[in-house]
Amino acid sequence: MIEVQGLCKRFGAVDVLSELSLSVDKGKVAAIIGPSGGGKSTFLRCINGLESFERGHVRVGDDVLVSSDSARQRAERLRAIRRKVGFVFQQFNLFPHLDVIGNIVEAPLRVLGHERASAVGEAVRLLERVGLADKKSALPHELSGGQQQRVAIARALAMRPEVLLLDEPTSALDPVMAAEVMSVITELASAGQTMIVVTHQLALVRAIADTVHVFAGGRRVEYGPTAAVFESPAHDITRAFLHKLQAW
Amino acid sequence: MARRRVDVLVVAIFFLSLLWATPARAEIPSLLTPGVLTWGGDQEGGGPYVYPADDDPRRVVGFEVELADELAARLGLRARFLQGQWDRMPDLLRARKCDIVLNGYEWMPARLDVMEATIPYYVFGLQLLARDTGEITSWGDLERPFAQGRRRIGVLAASAAEKYLQSRPSLAIEIVSYDGSTDAMREVETGKLDATLQDTPAATFYRSRFPRLRAVGAPVGHGYYVVYAQEGQKALVRRLNEALLAMIDEGRIEAIYRAYGIWNDAQRELGDIARSGRFYGYSKEWHDRPAVTKRGVRDGPPERRVEITARKRGFEVVRAYGGVLLQSAGLTLVLSCLSFPLAVLAGLFIAMGRLYGPAWLRAPLAVYVEFLRGTPVMLQLFFIFFFLPEVGINVPAFWTAILGLSVNYSAYESEIYRAGLSAVPKGQMEAALALGMSRPLALRRIIVPQAVRIVVPPVVNDFIALFKDTSVCSVVTLVELTKRFSVLSQSTQATTELMAMTAVLYLVMSYPLSLVSRRLELGAGKAPS
Repeated sequence: MIEVQGLCKRFGAVDVLSELSLSVDKGKVAAIIGPSGGGKSTFLRCINGLESFERGHVRVGDDVLVSSDSARQRAERLRAIRRKVGFVFQQFNLFPHLDVIGNIVEAPLRVLGHERASAVGEAVRLLERVGLADKKSALPHELSGGQQQRVAIARALAMRPEVLLLDEPTSALDPVMAAEVMSVITELASAGQTMIVVTHQLALVRAIADTVHVFAGGRRVEYGPTAAVFESPAHDITRAFLHKLQAW
Repeated sequence: MARRRVDVLVVAIFFLSLLWATPARAEIPSLLTPGVLTWGGDQEGGGPYVYPADDDPRRVVGFEVELADELAARLGLRARFLQGQWDRMPDLLRARKCDIVLNGYEWMPARLDVMEATIPYYVFGLQLLARDTGEITSWGDLERPFAQGRRRIGVLAASAAEKYLQSRPSLAIEIVSYDGSTDAMREVETGKLDATLQDTPAATFYRSRFPRLRAVGAPVGHGYYVVYAQEGQKALVRRLNEALLAMIDEGRIEAIYRAYGIWNDAQRELGDIARSGRFYGYSKEWHDRPAVTKRGVRDGPPERRVEITARKRGFEVVRAYGGVLLQSAGLTLVLSCLSFPLAVLAGLFIAMGRLYGPAWLRAPLAVYVEFLRGTPVMLQLFFIFFFLPEVGINVPAFWTAILGLSVNYSAYESEIYRAGLSAVPKGQMEAALALGMSRPLALRRIIVPQAVRIVVPPVVNDFIALFKDTSVCSVVTLVELTKRFSVLSQSTQATTELMAMTAVLYLVMSYPLSLVSRRLELGAGKAPS
């Protein structure tokens, strides 16, 4: 479904990402954990082209993004890949000038060329799914953080993405709101949505992830089935990281 | 018998002159508009030259208006007045915005390098005017040191009077320049100036309006008003000279000048100087032409008398000039409302080009913005109106104003937009791109709408500023509200009333904008920061 191979990114003399690979099968969920500054978010952002990379490639279905692409090729491939890959930001990034429905239907209308009526119908269904059917015409600033993140998820889903990338989706939220968002993500996982999620919430990882990938210093230090990594971590960094989080 | 001979002679000369004039008519040089003699002048200079008519301030009257009308008629043309700024008349000529300048312009050898001059149509002097309280009773008083420092003498900017005073270093005076002659006269009455030196026509004409002024000594200096034409327009000047000479000979000049009370003995010189060939541009044949016997002018009182009416006051002023001020306010409104949307639109594209455009575009746009912000709009208007014609681009006054204002303001608007666009968080663009939008689509649907909300207050603020900046358009011959105020105030002295009306008109136009801005600001305030 989605496969990243040998991704390298440098920033000046610093290797931000080195030789990172990761693949997720259709309907599966991969979780990326690891200490801050380990390149988790950067990796996720490389997948849909919000960051560039120097070597390696990203394959989503039949579309391949290669580092050696010219600017024009890159723009073309990115458009194709971005239609297949949804992205949920830590800071939600809802459009403040559009109401909830407007946020959700904007891309289906303008990018996919859907009819307004069907797009709005789909948006309402998605809002029901994330538990916000009564907030259709609210403006983003009238919503709590948890509600905004759920709208953001609905907005990403409205494009019917083959893969959903979630970049620390609960980090900007208090525990109650984080729980609301996690339950939505859990529901998506059980419905078979392919996802890659970067998170510090081990409970969420346990609940939804098929595989766990531990990133540190721009490398993948360990990966494997969730249970295996959690029960018997092979790497010191993994052990230290899990220990620190669980001690909280 | 003798009388009959004279009549025959007159008739013969009349026909001869017709014959003589006919071929010349064919050689009338290229005029701006065929069949029309466009003449430049500034109503702000006031009476008796060119000033707004009492009954209809949209119309100009004055001895130069009558002169222009008759000269044009004698050339088989129709006269059309072009309002310009007095000290810019030579530029108007050079940029081919008018055919001739006929507005109290003195004959000066230096001017002949860039313009063609006719024979003089008026011999003027400079009259010193002071308060009737008697502090200054002679020119000698100006040479004596004065307890409170130097005496302050008001003059028309760039006029012969200014040059005359500058040429007399022995005078213990400070020269103060004004744009209109009556401003200086009023300031002498109110005591801000000690005296003013005026061309004799203005001094004579406005005597009744300023009863507390007294002429000091006899007129000094000695100069000639001439008509100037574009360089190389020798044929036109020749035709004008013929017409002027005929008007002098036939007494038409005297009749007009008597009507305005500005005829005096000095004018008797007019025909002689022409014939004695003392002026640049004369060919020998002038010298040989016989004087036509005077007709139509009798000694004694003139047939008609043009006098300034008593100064209007209070609501009389509102009634008389409200309409014309309102009309000029309309021009101000049209100029603002046409140029500002253009400025905003151009500014938006410039800002987007600088922020998101290709690298090769950013530097030129930065230069554009810095250049236009760093130079006065007046200079830019000037460039478009007076310089571009020299390279073959002739933009009419109205479009010069629209172009100049919108180009100038586009630089300011682009900076506001650049700030507004930069203020939209980076995550907004990322979210839009992540949804598969193209950059242009993301800009149009997501970024610009948010930036617009941020920039509404400063943009409306600029619109209000532009309203008032339209007043600089008077340099390109447009009579908008402020210029109309100056013109009317010079000719009527109802300054207080006119000022109040002008201020009210500006307020009435700009205050609704402030209200709109406040509403939009409140609306935008709802969005999260």
